[in-house]
Amino acid sequence: MKSLVVYCHPDPASFTAAVRDRAIGALQSRGDEVRVDDLYAQGFDPLFTATEREHHLEHGANPAVAPYVDDLLWCERLVLVYPTWWSGQPAMLKGWIERVWVNGVAWELPAGANRLRGRLRNVRRIVAITSHGSSKLSNALEGEVGKRMVSRTLRSLCHPLTRTTWLAFYGIDTATDDERRRFLDKIERKLS
Amino acid sequence: MVTAHPCADSFTHAAAAAARRGLERGGNDVTSLDLYALGFAPAMSPAERAAYHTDHPLIDPLTSEHARLVQRAEMLVFVYPTWWSGPPAILRGWLERVFVPGVAFRFDARGKLRPALTNVRQIVGISTYGSPRRYVKLLNDGGRRMLTRALRLNCGWRTRTRWLALYSFDTLGDTDRAAFLDRVERSMSRRRGGA
Repeated sequence: MKSLVVYCHPDPASFTAAVRDRAIGALQSRGDEVRVDDLYAQGFDPLFTATEREHHLEHGANPAVAPYVDDLLWCERLVLVYPTWWSGQPAMLKGWIERVWVNGVAWELPAGANRLRGRLRNVRRIVAITSHGSSKLSNALEGEVGKRMVSRTLRSLCHPLTRTTWLAFYGIDTATDDERRRFLDKIERKLS
Repeated sequence: MVTAHPCADSFTHAAAAAARRGLERGGNDVTSLDLYALGFAPAMSPAERAAYHTDHPLIDPLTSEHARLVQRAEMLVFVYPTWWSGPPAILRGWLERVFVPGVAFRFDARGKLRPALTNVRQIVGISTYGSPRRYVKLLNDGGRRMLTRALRLNCGWRTRTRWLALYSFDTLGDTDRAAFLDRVERSMSRRRGGA
């Protein structure tokens, strides 16, 4: 399978980076062809511009993000690796969605409709791997915004049979080293 | 009042202006931050991430200034278009970079979060949605949940929330849009919610 890993964390020495490495290793060990977009390291600009807004009903992305569009249209499995901040995806990753998942790439809007029609039929699997500072209970109370963003909003534009996998590490702020190791092992197990 | 839309002639900016008129009519002292006009950088930088858990997490003069405004505010008003079930990246980034430990919350001795925004008595969200209301509810309304739950938890027990939403925006006519602006102005001129 062709797997695209979109990784988002400003610190190359973070736990999220360790998660990314384990995920990539597991995907490669099962024979996947893997591409990685490291948004911070590649200097992705998350700002959806006024020009992009003015042209957002026309097909096509800003040429500045063309390599990211190519990767998204290439992959069959999309793997998002990021920390959960303010109940959802970091601004950097949110900006990747705003600028790359545009009209003519991820969706189209038929005349007179107010719901998008999905175009990413190449994507069959979505895997989100994230960590939450707070507990599973508080995230449930807050409404699991990031999870729904992936399993409902993004998924709705992919192939109708796309399956989503949610791998979340809750309570990382108070977790022990042993718990962190177990989570990394779980990532490897689930992806290989 | 924080506004997030790249185009100065957008409906979002018209809604922000209506909110401001209402707030001023109600005798409020309003400070507006137009994030795009300010050139606010959405992404938390590696240096900011490194400083996040130190005693001085605010290392940019702009985020320090915004944090001081937030700590003095009694009401936070967010005006933005809902994109991808939530606020634009620039507004998410504003929360990431300004609502840092010591401003929005602090960690207690056991590493648990404790609220620090006890000065905020009300959170208001004003947003347009391309989708119809039912579909927004089905998709979870992430922006509303983020602001009225996650952010609300960093305020005091008695902090109220108010949500003014315009659904199916793309297919609405001018009359409905104008009616929404009136509703925003009227609502914001009052201390409590309700249209």
